[in-house]
Amino acid sequence: MSTEVKVVSPAPMTVATPLKDAAAVAARINEKFANAASVVDGSLMVDSSQLVAVATLLRDDPGIGADFLEDLTSIDWPDRFEVVYHLYNLTRQEGPLRMKVRADKADPRVPSTVPVWPGADLMEREVYDMMGITFAGHPNLKRILMWEGFQGHPLRKDWKEAYFEEEKKPFDQRWPEGALVRAENRTPFKDNIVLPSGFDPTKYTPPAEDNVPLVEYNQPLSGEMKSQTLIVNMGPQHPSTHGVFRMRVRLDGERIVDLQPVIGYMHRNHEKIGERNAWLMNMPYTDRLDYLCSMGNNFGYAIAVEKLMPDIKVPERAEYLRVIMAEFTRIVNHFFALGQLLSDMGAFFTPMLYAIEEREWMLDLFEMASGSRMMCNYARFGGVARDVPPEFMPLANKLVNDRLPRAIDRFDDYIATSEIVLARAQNVGILTKEQAIALSTVGPVLRASGVPYDVRRAEPYSIYDRFDFDIPIGTVGDVYDRYLVRIAEMRESVRILKQALRDIPAGEIFAGRKGWQVKIQKGEAYGRIENPKGATGFYVVSDGGTNPYRYHIHAPSFINIGALGTMAKGHTVADTVIILGSVDIVLGELDR
Amino acid sequence: MSEDILLIVIKVAVLIVILLTVVAYTVYVERRIMARMQSRIGPNRVGPFGLLQPLADILKLIFKEDLTPAGADKVTYFLAPALAAITGLAAFAVIPFGNTIDLFGIKVNLFIADINVGLLYLFAMSSLAVYGIVLAGWSSNNKYSLLGGVRSSAQMISYELPLGLALVSVVLAAGSLSLGDIVKAQANLWFIVQQPLSFVIYFICAIAETNRAPFDLPEAETELIAGYHTEYSSLKWALFFLAEYMAVITVSATAVTIFFGGWQGPFLPGWLWFVIKLSGFIFFFTWMRATLPRLRFDQLMRLGWKVLLPLAALNLVVIAGLVAAMGG
Amino acid sequence: MLSDYLPILIMLVAASAIGIGGAVISWVAGPKQPSANKAMAYESGMIPVGTARIRFPVKFYLVAMLFIIFDVEIVFFYPWAVVYKQLHLFGFVEMLVFIGVFAVGYIYIWKKGALDWK
Repeated sequence: MSTEVKVVSPAPMTVATPLKDAAAVAARINEKFANAASVVDGSLMVDSSQLVAVATLLRDDPGIGADFLEDLTSIDWPDRFEVVYHLYNLTRQEGPLRMKVRADKADPRVPSTVPVWPGADLMEREVYDMMGITFAGHPNLKRILMWEGFQGHPLRKDWKEAYFEEEKKPFDQRWPEGALVRAENRTPFKDNIVLPSGFDPTKYTPPAEDNVPLVEYNQPLSGEMKSQTLIVNMGPQHPSTHGVFRMRVRLDGERIVDLQPVIGYMHRNHEKIGERNAWLMNMPYTDRLDYLCSMGNNFGYAIAVEKLMPDIKVPERAEYLRVIMAEFTRIVNHFFALGQLLSDMGAFFTPMLYAIEEREWMLDLFEMASGSRMMCNYARFGGVARDVPPEFMPLANKLVNDRLPRAIDRFDDYIATSEIVLARAQNVGILTKEQAIALSTVGPVLRASGVPYDVRRAEPYSIYDRFDFDIPIGTVGDVYDRYLVRIAEMRESVRILKQALRDIPAGEIFAGRKGWQVKIQKGEAYGRIENPKGATGFYVVSDGGTNPYRYHIHAPSFINIGALGTMAKGHTVADTVIILGSVDIVLGELDR
Repeated sequence: MSEDILLIVIKVAVLIVILLTVVAYTVYVERRIMARMQSRIGPNRVGPFGLLQPLADILKLIFKEDLTPAGADKVTYFLAPALAAITGLAAFAVIPFGNTIDLFGIKVNLFIADINVGLLYLFAMSSLAVYGIVLAGWSSNNKYSLLGGVRSSAQMISYELPLGLALVSVVLAAGSLSLGDIVKAQANLWFIVQQPLSFVIYFICAIAETNRAPFDLPEAETELIAGYHTEYSSLKWALFFLAEYMAVITVSATAVTIFFGGWQGPFLPGWLWFVIKLSGFIFFFTWMRATLPRLRFDQLMRLGWKVLLPLAALNLVVIAGLVAAMGG
Repeated sequence: MLSDYLPILIMLVAASAIGIGGAVISWVAGPKQPSANKAMAYESGMIPVGTARIRFPVKFYLVAMLFIIFDVEIVFFYPWAVVYKQLHLFGFVEMLVFIGVFAVGYIYIWKKGALDWK
């Protein structure tokens, strides 16, 4: 069956746009609200007392039109907190506009922007949880990655984790006299853990009723009969939540009355660990975010950090290698996602295993290039780790020109013509264009809802402006469209790969300084790439030292999960499972 | 009755041993075939070609801890798997799986009982089977089990109707409810040729009755963990497994008996023909499991009530009309 | 006549022996180390909220009621089908009338929306 997905080629972004010119935007704001905005280091600094009004203006003013809040995070400076917003316009494909709001150190309080950008919901909760900034007016300001009752805010600079050793790696005290001593071995509960008085961790049992509210708890059900609803936890130990993800659902028979995603089970404070690490040490660490797409994560992190290394010019061959790996990663991920989706639909592992069979070939390529199949750790600041061996190109060419196009067609043929798949996937979990933008969704979820937005085209990074490819978009925004968009994206990836493998030049693959310590200039950078699951952003702040001052990841899984409740409400349990499958989450980056 | 009680007891004992073995090896064969279909190898470690795998599985299950969840209704929880297994095994009693054979000079009929309401007995047993499942789902005090049990009961009773209606037309053509007579009525022409639509309706309903893909909603593992048997462990869980595969074998055997001429066939002995036809069905069940995704509950109910039921009624009218027209 | 059913009884007894025996064997042979956590109903690793014993939505009961009505009607077809060949045209007309009654009920519940599973 030929795909019903539209293929569009929006024009690439023009250079001087309102959303990149912070000074012009600030002037426009100050016309309406006196002294509400200024420009500091190229970022728009907004007075927190007028934030909601300014945000509404930013969104609604036709000259600015920042309708898409991609990322919201925060920095803990010695004298203040800053909340950082990255804003885009999706229709004109413009951005980013970096907006900052300062908050007091003693009682950090910032107005919530959820009324303006509903997608801010989860991101504000994350900042509240990790940094302790209160968002006044947020509808459900609760901890999200940590559990309710957790003491402290782990991303603050003064917060010390259990077994804290030193601020920065390498930890000198690990080798006092040449012998390794781990902090864990010294005391079981180290002295930097603050326990509430009278609390004995060894005797703790969790309470039965946890305090995640279901919004419509008391809503009367339809019909005259007063039957009861059932609260069921799906996850964390559930076959189809793709990891330790939990959905707390209220059921009326089979129907979902309310759904609440609960996350944080795999939280490991990735960002804090990233701040302890030296710059390059984070490269293998990004592998563990979206562990199906480690090549893509490396790429994104390298791009973000290279923005702070102006004297480095990545060699041509390395750029090509990065693109080749990233596009193979997209195919790998989409195969896996579709296999998983069909498995969730009840096709007992057959499509999954067919997908994995193709995936293995590409993992072979990754292994040749990087020595590892999943945790590749391939990119470096200024190039890639090593050149590909001679047997790489023949296999890559064979896959791209022969095997993969056939495999994609076959997969599409098998699945898209199945009546049951159509019945299950069509008109299920619809996310309209407006909802998709408002909820800040990214990647295939956004495009399936009909928004032709792809970072590779909107903000071409690396050498993506050289390649000829289209952006598939859906028309309905249901599960089936998400499926079709992924299939079409794989075909586009094959197109890019054909061009890249044809044009790749010989030459150097690394232009940086060899060694684990690199010189990063003071400043901040937001580097993002179009990872298979959606735009993955790395926001790095450098104080000129050996380690990042702030290292934040905009994870597509995390953002897209915010739209799950909207998509699932009113559907059945079975639908919810495939809606989740169609969002395609990976817990490694969802919980970070 | 020409056979004495001793012979019947021996026959029952042998049949049950055979059935248990067949179930165990159906599981094995299913795993192997599905592995092939999914470019895997499947169980191949225990014994040659993994042939002892079912034995190892059963032994393992015997020595697993038998858990009863807190808040479970203990008696019901204990009896539910037994009930499921009993109905599953007992249903096979009326299936004629071969012609009369000579064994050490004694004439042995290859069926346990050829009663005059054989078909109704099969219905009765498959209706009772739903009790095992729904009681298991309810007594576990587990929400997934409850949902699975309720789904299952709604599904099984909904498909019971078109299934019953589809077989009326066969009864009409054969003029008897006895399965032995139905087999003999197909000596010249199998009912599959005469009434293909009846067979299609019957088979779709039979898959739904056995809770197999694409109608495996009661134990949809991607939705309800394991459905009604989520809480069961040890041999009690194995009894549900036994019941499920017995149901597959029984509905396949019924399909063979009613639509494919039963044990009749040229050259080979009757029981071998029966086994061959039965294997074909079991392969088909496996094939579907490896191929088809699952329907959603409302789609399943719509298919049963709004498509299959009127279709079965229409089919009956047409067949009855044809039989009447041919001066039946 | 009744002796036809003797083998069925023996089969039922044997099947019961397997069913109950299996449940008993696992209870006897398996290890027993009960604990509160093990006995907890499985809810994806969470401590269950509330009980599973609730008043379930009424539409499931509706299915059961419809089933009983229609199942009884279908059972009436069987004796008719067995003797159909002796009834000739009379039987056919008779059946059409019965199917008509059946259809009226069916159309009624369809129109009432009882078959719309929401």
